Amino acid sequence: MTKYSMAVDLDRCQGCRACMTACTIENNTVQSNHWMYVFRFEEGTFPETEMSFLPRPCQHCDNAPCVKVCPVGSRFKREDGLVLTDADRCIGCRYCELACPYGVNYFNWQKPEKGQYDVVDWKDDDLEAVTGGLIPPYRNPDLDELYGEEQRHTAGGGHAKGVIEKCTFCVHRVEKGLEPACADTCPTNALVFGDIDDPESPISAYLKDRSPWQLLDEAGTKPNVYYIGGKPPNKELKEIERPKATV
Amino acid sequence: MLKVNRRKFVRGSTTVAGSAIVADKFLFGSFSGVTAAQGPEVAGPVEDFVATTCWIGKQDCGMIARRIDGRVVKFEGNPTNPRNVGTLCPKGQAQIQAVYDPNRVKWPLVRTNEKGVTGEWRRASWDEALDMVADTVSEVRERDPKKVLWQKGRSKAKDFYDDAFVKSTGASKLGHGAFCSDAGYRALEYTLGTHAVLHPDFRYCNYMLSWGWNITNAGGNKFCWLTWPRHMVEARDRGMKITHLDPRLRSAGPFADTWLPIRPASDLAMALALCHELIALDYLDRPYLSTYTNAPFLVKPDGMVAKVTIGEGEEAEEVGLVWDEEAGEAVPFGETDNPALEGEFELDGEMVKPGFQVFKEHVEENTPEWAAELTGLSAAEISKVAREFGENAQIGSTIVVDGVEVPYRPVGIMAYHMAQQEMGFQTARAMTMVPMLVGAVGAAGGQLSDFTWKIHKNYAKFEKFTVNDPPYDFVLNGSKYFPINTGFPGMVAKVMLDPERYGVEELPEVAILHMVNPLNSFPSQKEYLDSYGKFKFVAVISPWLSETADYFADVVLPAATIEKYEGPISATDQYVDAVTLRIPPMEPLFESRGEIDIYMDLCERLGVLFGDDGYLSVVNKELKLVDTEFALPLDQMPEVRDIFDRWSKSQGIEEGIAFFEDPDNGTFVKGPVSPTKMYGYVAETPFGGALHRLYGDSLLDAQNQMKEKGAEEIYWQDYTALPTWRSPTMDSSPSEYEFYLISYHQIEHKQSRTSFVPMLAELAPGSYLDMNPESAKRLGIDDGDEITVESQNAITGETRSLVTKAVYCEAIRPDTVAMPHHFGMWTHPQNKGQGASANEIYFTGEGYMTNTADQSFHVKVKVTKGSEA
Repeated sequence: MTKYSMAVDLDRCQGCRACMTACTIENNTVQSNHWMYVFRFEEGTFPETEMSFLPRPCQHCDNAPCVKVCPVGSRFKREDGLVLTDADRCIGCRYCELACPYGVNYFNWQKPEKGQYDVVDWKDDDLEAVTGGLIPPYRNPDLDELYGEEQRHTAGGGHAKGVIEKCTFCVHRVEKGLEPACADTCPTNALVFGDIDDPESPISAYLKDRSPWQLLDEAGTKPNVYYIGGKPPNKELKEIERPKATV
Repeated sequence: MLKVNRRKFVRGSTTVAGSAIVADKFLFGSFSGVTAAQGPEVAGPVEDFVATTCWIGKQDCGMIARRIDGRVVKFEGNPTNPRNVGTLCPKGQAQIQAVYDPNRVKWPLVRTNEKGVTGEWRRASWDEALDMVADTVSEVRERDPKKVLWQKGRSKAKDFYDDAFVKSTGASKLGHGAFCSDAGYRALEYTLGTHAVLHPDFRYCNYMLSWGWNITNAGGNKFCWLTWPRHMVEARDRGMKITHLDPRLRSAGPFADTWLPIRPASDLAMALALCHELIALDYLDRPYLSTYTNAPFLVKPDGMVAKVTIGEGEEAEEVGLVWDEEAGEAVPFGETDNPALEGEFELDGEMVKPGFQVFKEHVEENTPEWAAELTGLSAAEISKVAREFGENAQIGSTIVVDGVEVPYRPVGIMAYHMAQQEMGFQTARAMTMVPMLVGAVGAAGGQLSDFTWKIHKNYAKFEKFTVNDPPYDFVLNGSKYFPINTGFPGMVAKVMLDPERYGVEELPEVAILHMVNPLNSFPSQKEYLDSYGKFKFVAVISPWLSETADYFADVVLPAATIEKYEGPISATDQYVDAVTLRIPPMEPLFESRGEIDIYMDLCERLGVLFGDDGYLSVVNKELKLVDTEFALPLDQMPEVRDIFDRWSKSQGIEEGIAFFEDPDNGTFVKGPVSPTKMYGYVAETPFGGALHRLYGDSLLDAQNQMKEKGAEEIYWQDYTALPTWRSPTMDSSPSEYEFYLISYHQIEHKQSRTSFVPMLAELAPGSYLDMNPESAKRLGIDDGDEITVESQNAITGETRSLVTKAVYCEAIRPDTVAMPHHFGMWTHPQNKGQGASANEIYFTGEGYMTNTADQSFHVKVKVTKGSEA
C-alpha cells in the first residue's frame, strides 16, 4: 500500500515561510488561508531565551476526526493516505474545523476573487490583455480537474464562498509524481515527503535512524506528519511575527 | 522561440484526467491515483517550462517557470543550479505577484508638476522619453561627462550597466556599497587583499562565530539567503557548533548553540579581547604569521615599518626588514625562514620591534575584563569563546582535500554587516586578526572571504596613500577626509548641500537612477530630500514608481522585472563553479523593457553605441568576446538575445542561448572548485601573492598626511596602524537617549522592492520596534502600544523621530531596540499603513559613518509612549 507522509526536520527549518508562499501560489488559496503555516516561537526571559519554528501542514491523520464528523462525505481519506475535501460536496457546516485539533481547516468567508490579494487590481485592463482576466493571474488550471480513483474535485483552494479547504499534500502534484509545493521549495530540505510504506522512499530513509515525534500524539489521531528535532510546542511558547490576518 | 522539453504535455479538459508524466522530481517507487488520458485527446491548455533566474532577491537563484498557454503560473527552483538546488525563498515564490502587478510603471512617464512633492505624470512614448533623457544628458556630457551621475542600488548585469554604459558615456558612478558592507570589503582588501567579507569554509568548519550574522533572515557577502544557510544546516548536521554574537537572538533562531547578546557597536572591543586571549593562551600559528603576514616586519618608534629597497631600476621594490635572530641582524623579509615575531632590537640607532610584538603590546590592556564592561558580556564568556576558537583551530594540523594536503583549521567567523558601524573598518580588521592568529585564513574549514585568492587592485593601492589638497571631486576621492573612500551617496548628498565646506567646486547636474531608491532605502532620508532636488534633471529606470522617482524624477523609464535577458550570472555555491542567465519567461509586461535594450537605445541617441570605446565595444571587452568569432559588430544594434547567444557560444556551449532556455539545463555547471583555488595556502601562488597586513603602517601614514592637510580629528582618528578601541560618537548623546537602535532584514523582504508584494506584505506586514519587556514596562509601554522613537545626533544635536508600535521581545538586550527596515514607502496601494522605516531617523555624515566613507546603522534613541504628532 502507498501511504503518503511528511517529515518536518526542525533541526533544519529556518522558519522562512517559503513553504507558505509556495503553497498559496500552487493552490491559489486566498489570503489568510495558510494551509501550510509556520509558527515562530519565543520562549523564556532574557537572556535565557530560546527560539523555535514549527511548520504545520494538515496532519493527514489515519484516524482523522474531521472525516468522522463530515455529514456529507465531503471530507474523506483516500487509500494512499491523503485526507481531502470535495469542494463540490462541502456544505460549509465547519464541523471538521471544530473537530480538528490542529487548526488546519480554513473557511472561505467571501467570494474567492475578493480574497485573492485584491489590494491589487487584477482586473486592470492592461493586465487583462496579458492574463485574460484570470484571478489570480497565476491561476493554476490543474486545480479544476478531478483526482483519484474517486474522480473528485479535491485539488487547490479558493473554489467557492462557504466551503472549507485545507492542505491536500498537493494531490494534483502527487499524482504527477511531484512533491507537494512546500517540500519542493524548502531551502534547507526540512520537509521530506513520500510513501512511508515503501522502505526505499526518501521519507523512510530519512526517518530510519531518527526519533520522530508527532503533534498531539495523545489525541489518538494517528497523524502522518513526523517531526524531527525540536520539541512539541507547549504553553510557555509565545508566538511572534504573525502574518497580517490569521483565521 | 522557447524549447519545450519532455515535460511538455497537452492536458485534457476538466473532464479528462491529465496524462501521467514522469517528471524529473519523481519521488516514489510507485504511486496510485493517476489514470493516463484515454480516448481521443481533447485540445486544452498547453503547459511548458522555461529556465530563468530569479530577479527579486540578491542571489539570482535558478528557476523554472511553469507556463500555461504562455502565461507563467509558478516559479520553482532549478535543481541544476548549485546555489539553490531546486529551492526558492518566500520572495522567489511570491515574485509572481510582482510580475503581474498592474501598479508597475506601465509606460514611460514624464513629470508635469514641480519636484519635491508627489509626482503628477503624463504618458509618453519611448521615443519621446528617451529623447528627453538623451538631450539633457548630451548637453551636460559635452561640458563634463563626470557631471552625469549614474547611480545604482543593485546591478544585475554589471558588464552592461556599470561597465558598458558608465565607461562609454564617461559618467560618474555611485553604488550602494557604502550602505552595505563595504567598510568590511575595504578592511579585507587592506588586510588580506581579497575583495569580500569573512565567511567560513562550511564544508569542514567545526566551530563558527556567527557574528551579527542574520542567519535565518538574510545571508552573507557573496550569497543571499539560500546557499549559506543551507551549508550551515548541513555543517550543523556534521556537528558544527555556533556561538552567536548579536544583540538579538532572532537572527540565529534555533541555531545558536550559545547566544552572547553583545552590546551594539562594541564588536571591536570583543575582537581585540579575543586577540588578547589567543595570544595569552598561546593559540598562535607562528609559521603562518612569519611567512604569510607582515607580523615580523620591524616597526620603528614612529610607527612606520623599516624598509629596504631591493633590486634596481624597474625591478626595484621596497621590502620590510625583519630580524634574523641567528644572524643577530635585520634582513629583508624572505631572507630568513625564522624571523623574530617578538622582542626588541636595535637598528640604525633606533629600537625596533616586530609588528607582532607591537600588536601583542597593543592588545595587552584589551583583557576579557576590560571588554566585559564594553560588550555587556562576562569576562568568562569572552575568554571561553577565545579558548574554544583556539582549541578547535587544531593549529598545525592538515587535511587532504581532493588529493591536496591543506592546513586544517576548522574555525571561522561569519560576519557581513558588522562593518555597518562607525568603526566598521577597524572592527572588520580586528575580527580578521582573530583567525589570522590561529592560521585559519585560507585553511580548510577555516576563514575564507572571497571565492578566490585573486588580489584586488586596492591591495596595492592601499600600500601608500596620497592625500591631496582641495578642490576635490564630489565623491571626495583622494581627499583629506577619506584616504580610503568607498564612494558614499550619503556624503555626496552632504557635499551637494554644502560643497564649499568640503572643498568641492563641481557638482553633478543630472542623475540616472538605476534600480535604486535613496529616499527610502538609504539611512538619513532628510539629506536625500534636501539634495536630490538640486539635480536639474533626474531619469529613473525602474519597474515601480520608487519614492525617489515620485519626488524627483523628470522622466521614468519602465524596466521589466524578470521578463528580460540579463547576465551572465554566477551560479556557484563556492564549491561548484557554474554560470547562468536570466531568460524572459514571457514578454515584458505592459510597455516595460529590459534595461539592456534601454541603455542601447540611450547610447545610440548619445552617439556612444558604436565604434571603438562605444557601448558595444565595452560589452565585447567585458564579455571577453574581443578577437573571437563571437564579437559583436560595432556598427549595428544587436538583439539582446543575440548578445547572449554569442556569449554562450564563446563559453563553448554549442547550442548557444538555447541551452540556458532549456528547462532541463538552464545552468552551465563547470565542475567542482579545486582546493588550489579555494584555499589560500595551497593556491598556485599562496594567498595570491599578498602578504597579509597584520600591521598597517600605511594607515598611520595616511593619518599623518591628513593631519598635515588640516583634517579634523573625527576624520583621521581611526586611521591607526592597529585597530584601536574608542567610544563610538553616538555614546555622547544625552543619557535620555538610552537605547541603541539597530535595524534588520526580514527574509520576506528585500530592500524597497517587496513590501508592496501582497503575499509578502501579508507575512511581514509592517514596521514595529522590538523592545525588551523589562525596558518597555519601565517606560509604561505595553505590547502593541503606539510609540515615538526619537534619535539624536551627538555632533549636531539634531533630533529626528518616527511613530511605530512596540512589540515585546525577550530575545533582545534591554538597552537595544530594533526595527525591520523594509517599510516607510508610499507609492503603492499595498504600502498603506505599513508604517515607518528606521532610515527616517538614522543620521549620515560625521560620527555616523566610518573612516572609509561607509554608513553606520547605529544611533541612540529615546522611546516614549504615544505619538507626539
